[in-house]
Amino acid sequence: MKDKIERILSEAKARIMGAPAESELQKVRSEFVGKQGALTLLLKELPKVELSLRPEMGKILNVAKNTVMELIDEKRTELKLKASEVSPDFDCSVPGIMPANGGLHPITQMCYDLNDAFRSMGFEVFQEDDITSELYAFDKLNFPQNHPARESMDTYWLEGHDSGSTNEKLCLRPHLTGGSVRYMQTHKPPFRFVYPGRVYRNETTDAHHERAFFQYEALIVDKDITFTSGKVLIKSILSKVFGTDVPVRMRSGFFPFVEPGFEIDMQCQVCGGKGCSVCKHVGWIEVMPGGSPHPNVLRAAGLDPDEYTGFYVNIGLDRLVMMRYGVDDVRLFHSADLRFLSQFR
Amino acid sequence: MKLSLSWIKDYVDLPDDADLKKLAYDLTMDTVEVEDVEYIAKRFENMLVGVIEAVNPHPDADKLRVCTVDIGDGESKTIVCGGINLKEGMRVAVSVPGAVVRWHGEGEPVVIKKSKLRGVESYGMICASDEIGLGDLFPASEEAEILDLSAFDVPAGTPIAEALGLDDVLLEIDNKSMTNRPDLWGHYGIAREIAALYGLPLKKFEPADLDASSDFKVEIRDIDRCPRYIGVEMSGVEVKPSPFEMQSRIWRVGMRPINALVDITNYVMLSTGNPTHAFDADNISDHIRVRRAEKDEKLLLLNGKELELCEDDLVIADGEGAVALAGVMGGAKDSILPDTKRVILEVANFEAAGIRRTALRYDNRTEASSRYEKAIDPERCDQALALSMKYFKELYPELKVTGYCDKYEKKLKRAEIDVNLRWLAKRLGKDLTDDEIRAKLEILGFDVTIDGDNMHVIAPSWRSTGDISIKDDVMEEVARMYGYDNFEATSFTTAFDGAINQKEISLVRNIKEYLAIRCGLQEVYTYPWMNDVFVNAVIGDTKGMLRLSTPPAPDLSYLRSTLLPNLCEAVVKNERYFSEFSIFEEAQVFADEEYTSVYDESESLPKQRRNIAAAFAAASGNINELFRRVKGVLEYMPRYTHMEGFGFRKEEKPVWADNVVWQNIYVGDVKVGDLGLLDKKASMACGIKNLSLMLFEIDTTLLKPLISRTNKFTHLAEYPETDYDISMLFDSSASWEEIREAIAIKDGGLVKKAAFVDEYRGKQIPAGKKSVTIRLTIGSKEKTLTSEDIEKAAGSVMKQLTKRLGAELRAQ
Repeated sequence: MKDKIERILSEAKARIMGAPAESELQKVRSEFVGKQGALTLLLKELPKVELSLRPEMGKILNVAKNTVMELIDEKRTELKLKASEVSPDFDCSVPGIMPANGGLHPITQMCYDLNDAFRSMGFEVFQEDDITSELYAFDKLNFPQNHPARESMDTYWLEGHDSGSTNEKLCLRPHLTGGSVRYMQTHKPPFRFVYPGRVYRNETTDAHHERAFFQYEALIVDKDITFTSGKVLIKSILSKVFGTDVPVRMRSGFFPFVEPGFEIDMQCQVCGGKGCSVCKHVGWIEVMPGGSPHPNVLRAAGLDPDEYTGFYVNIGLDRLVMMRYGVDDVRLFHSADLRFLSQFR
Repeated sequence: MKLSLSWIKDYVDLPDDADLKKLAYDLTMDTVEVEDVEYIAKRFENMLVGVIEAVNPHPDADKLRVCTVDIGDGESKTIVCGGINLKEGMRVAVSVPGAVVRWHGEGEPVVIKKSKLRGVESYGMICASDEIGLGDLFPASEEAEILDLSAFDVPAGTPIAEALGLDDVLLEIDNKSMTNRPDLWGHYGIAREIAALYGLPLKKFEPADLDASSDFKVEIRDIDRCPRYIGVEMSGVEVKPSPFEMQSRIWRVGMRPINALVDITNYVMLSTGNPTHAFDADNISDHIRVRRAEKDEKLLLLNGKELELCEDDLVIADGEGAVALAGVMGGAKDSILPDTKRVILEVANFEAAGIRRTALRYDNRTEASSRYEKAIDPERCDQALALSMKYFKELYPELKVTGYCDKYEKKLKRAEIDVNLRWLAKRLGKDLTDDEIRAKLEILGFDVTIDGDNMHVIAPSWRSTGDISIKDDVMEEVARMYGYDNFEATSFTTAFDGAINQKEISLVRNIKEYLAIRCGLQEVYTYPWMNDVFVNAVIGDTKGMLRLSTPPAPDLSYLRSTLLPNLCEAVVKNERYFSEFSIFEEAQVFADEEYTSVYDESESLPKQRRNIAAAFAAASGNINELFRRVKGVLEYMPRYTHMEGFGFRKEEKPVWADNVVWQNIYVGDVKVGDLGLLDKKASMACGIKNLSLMLFEIDTTLLKPLISRTNKFTHLAEYPETDYDISMLFDSSASWEEIREAIAIKDGGLVKKAAFVDEYRGKQIPAGKKSVTIRLTIGSKEKTLTSEDIEKAAGSVMKQLTKRLGAELRAQ
């Protein structure tokens, strides 16, 4: 009988330990210690046991019964603590509640990414005013007197400041480079700075042309700079911005304020250089002009071109962002349309 | 500019199997940007020469004919056609299924399929010239005239491109990439560049052999504006079509063939880049003079435009008056007419800037003026003359030269430059040998003398009109010929003498990131000009604003003096899609005042500030909540962006603000901005429908970034502090500012802090009153306070409020 009790007890223990829920404990209780429970039935058979063994057996049986009841209580408490505070059909797949639904303009994001990259290479960030004079917009940049860009059909001149000599004529800056001359005039070489800003051109707008767009100028001026060292710079910056190694090529280009001048192309990031509609099937995208500042520009900034030289790039931010996200209409950047802007995080 | 490969090959022996992709790539990398390489034959795919075998009426349509056509595949085809000039034996262009045509030369391209026309099966289409893009080369004299190719003796089935000799390739070059290279504006110039790039020989023009002994005379009265003028008087010419190949080439690169006399001049321009012109000699009285126009002198151009000239214009004149606008366009009087028998050919050189001024002045830019304004070298007249005479003689075997005069009084001086070779090596980052350098320059036409460290170069005439003028230009030529991509990239070295610390610039970024990321605003960009509607609605007065003289539109002329009108416009645009949103913009604002000269004393620039403004739009209703939200954004801004804190006062109501809901924002005693609710009138004028709009604008140039973080450590309270809320009734006009001042927290007192919890008006509150709940923080440095201590401290605050502001305790 002793063995039988042991067997029943160990079976009950196993059932209790493995009980996944309260209901199973109820079952165990009635099967082992309920009115028809295995241990209860044994108790009832006690009178049949030999008298000398009866007290011991009774004791064992009672201990066993109590043990089972205690274990059930313990397990019940454990199951209760483990159970959820909510019903099992709680849906964890519903979306979360957004903390704050705002964001920076995608151009600003790109600009800050570039600032971070350039700052890590020891560049300062320079900022200048939108309204400038013809003197800085053109004269100091070696633009010939009759250059087409000076005309009202290309540049936004200010009423009441649109005639007279070039120092008197004011306009919305058509590019950033004139501002760079201001930086050079007021700082001591060597220079390393970037100059983000918006520029303005009087032109008809379409999906690829805007009246206001963003440029990002970077300029280094030092002694003994070779014109090719710009290549390393551009490659590292673009690779940081796009997060992957971006092949870059420099080719011949002409701008009045640089000599020599380059067009700098990056491999099309949409097709990986295979050719697609974004890159007009050539695999390369023109992203920026670059070059060494023209001796006349350095002179205008008060530097001796025989002593100093430099490297300059001017990145078109709009185009870079369009490239980064596949945006197909440049006018969206100034649309203030939240359906567009809220896509960029 | 479009260039024909076969034309280029007239001057340089490019191998027939030359890799055009590589040619385009090399030109792009080293010289000019090739935007496109077009195989002309591709336009004429599935178009064949057909021979009409029979023309029959259409059973069901008067205007249609049913033709039987041999297209060379051994089986006659039936093609229905509405052409008016169809006849047996005629050679025509047949577009077979798959060809792309334009109906009547207009509209979208259509792909030809087999079809039925009024019940009759038709295999393809017999085409008019403009339907297959040949309208300019074979102009139809009337509508529905079919292109007659009978003059081309080719068998039926010959592809159209082959039949017409159009197996050519066009290189399309980005004009912007060659504005600085006047020498490249013609096939010969590009051929010369290709010859240099690949080391191929360049063909020379046979000089024209002309006799200068006649008394034909040309007079140049302004040699600065006209350095050279060649006139050739010829008889024995007539107006007739030029040879097909000449017409075809002119057409291929985008011009229109006219007649042999005009075509020769255009052909020569397209070849050499030097414009030429032919006058009807019988309409020129006396001799040719090149002079400045007289004031108000009249000139009727050959395009019918009548000009009143000014003294800055250069004209070609005869004894009676101006006959042509020099370098821009010929006049009506001397133009080539059907009965022209004698011509004077002009091969001239004009100064660039003057041509440009004149062309712009009369809005009359032409193929000629756009070339002259790039600054062509006068030596090139020799090539243009040689080529012109070659074709005049070829096309008019009866030609007699009756007069010739070459006035070349202002000789071109070839540019001479000294280049220090050590400087060159330093800038190139590479040591090239003297011979390498010499070879790269000589192949481009430079004369090079090297003496020790000094290299003396003389630029070729065609690069001497400004293009090559300083040593950096010479360096560029060497680098370009070496190949930019062949230079190893080298990195910079620079000594750092301090960390970059730009407080003002970081502050603006911090504010923008705070607004966008922490406060949930979306950044927008709008234009620097404002729409009049929003200027009027938000500001009303345009005094002190700057204005554009040629604005993008008449109602977009004012430059912004505040960012708010454009933000309101952005709110209106977005109201259609969103019912609650907030946006901000950071940009410059301008004022017609406080002009300063910071960088150059001759310059004077207006006041330009850098503002940040925000608009919070929410459904009309709970202004209190909206106001507090916006104010919270401002109150916490200094803490998160490390600048001196804001104070809020009511000193000067912004013009756009509601009468009650507004404050001015201060840093110390300096007003840096405003916040407020856009008033109802402005809101309606903006066209805002259902939203309430809270705005703020601050001038970031007045903000004070902290030099470093200014946090202070204080010891943690040793004894517990308790929050204790009190609610009291105040006059509804009592401001929180007054309540806070009345509580008058003292250092060392038990009441450490008094914070606003909320205010309530309405049910259970008597009219004219409001209930304000205040959270007091009470504690002591010496001991743990008992509840009696706490209640006593709170009680004294309440007494104070009753005494100072007449506050009453509200039933709890």
